Amino acid sequence: MIFVIDDDEIMAECISRAVSPEKTRIFGNAIDAMSAIDEELPKLIFLDILLDGPDGFTFLNELASYSDTAKIPIIIVSSIDISGKDLSSYGVVKIVNKEKMTPAEIKSYVNEFTK
Amino acid sequence: MEQEVNSILLAAHELKAPLAVLRQLALSFEFEKSAENEHIRSEMISVSERAIKQVNDLTKVARLEDGLFEMEPVSVRAVCDDVTHELSYLFRYNKRDLYIKYKNKSRLVTANRELLHSVVYNFLLNAMHYSGKDTRSELIVNEKRGKVRIDIRDYGPSLPNDVWREIKRGWVEKPTSIAMRPGSSGLGLYIASKFSRYMNANVGAIRHRDGTSFFVELPISTQARLF
Repeated sequence: MIFVIDDDEIMAECISRAVSPEKTRIFGNAIDAMSAIDEELPKLIFLDILLDGPDGFTFLNELASYSDTAKIPIIIVSSIDISGKDLSSYGVVKIVNKEKMTPAEIKSYVNEFTK
Repeated sequence: MEQEVNSILLAAHELKAPLAVLRQLALSFEFEKSAENEHIRSEMISVSERAIKQVNDLTKVARLEDGLFEMEPVSVRAVCDDVTHELSYLFRYNKRDLYIKYKNKSRLVTANRELLHSVVYNFLLNAMHYSGKDTRSELIVNEKRGKVRIDIRDYGPSLPNDVWREIKRGWVEKPTSIAMRPGSSGLGLYIASKFSRYMNANVGAIRHRDGTSFFVELPISTQARLF
């Protein structure tokens, strides 16, 4: 399963549709996503940074602190410019600009990082 | 002033998210396949992308005072190529021609690439908007006395005299003050003017009887040269 964490429901649905709705679970905040991870480790996470409640960076920290969740590849999808930051130690494999990404790119990232 | 800047930033951030969603919806929407539907889809994407760009430019205007945009050697030709490539769809869609001529020797200028891109983009969009049917917009890059000058000309209505005087004085201070030619708030020129001032570039306009040219002039970089 691939997790999409975004407090903008429509944006989350767009990402889910690009991946495949059957293969994704959508979460509107980091707390719900963290609870779900306790039950099931996702193959990949699409993560927004500006979230209601704990933000994306807090979520990254939480994931990095457990041995199993630290291995989950994460794609940050955000409008804020963090493209110059190296977040690979948090499992971040890609930083995608929400304003420029396309459904085809989303699909190609899924193929690349869920092999 | 600070309050005004914060309001602009807040409004721009608020607008960004829904615009990004609109663009994404247009990209993922499955129309019944037809040339007309594909046209509508492309136009929806294009309109939302332009709006996102303008909102991003506004956030940059608000951040200019922080001095975060570094000046560096920039290839004018590469920037102009990027912009014309980006806007080529729009020119085609609106059935406008774009004439491009580089008369300089691919010199590097001292500028900020991101800001220069926005200046050229806004001038060119403005030119396309005002060029009448069966006329063309022109982008001409020249080199003179240690400076590279980018001229962008349209064959639309001539610039009103008061607006020309304001630009001649140096800068366009408010978008509303140049609600100039029909159908324009002047926002693009305001943005271009702010960015040019930040880069210490000369910016101006020339009135023609059959249109207007806007230009920006930047010093050739002494740090590095391509040729």
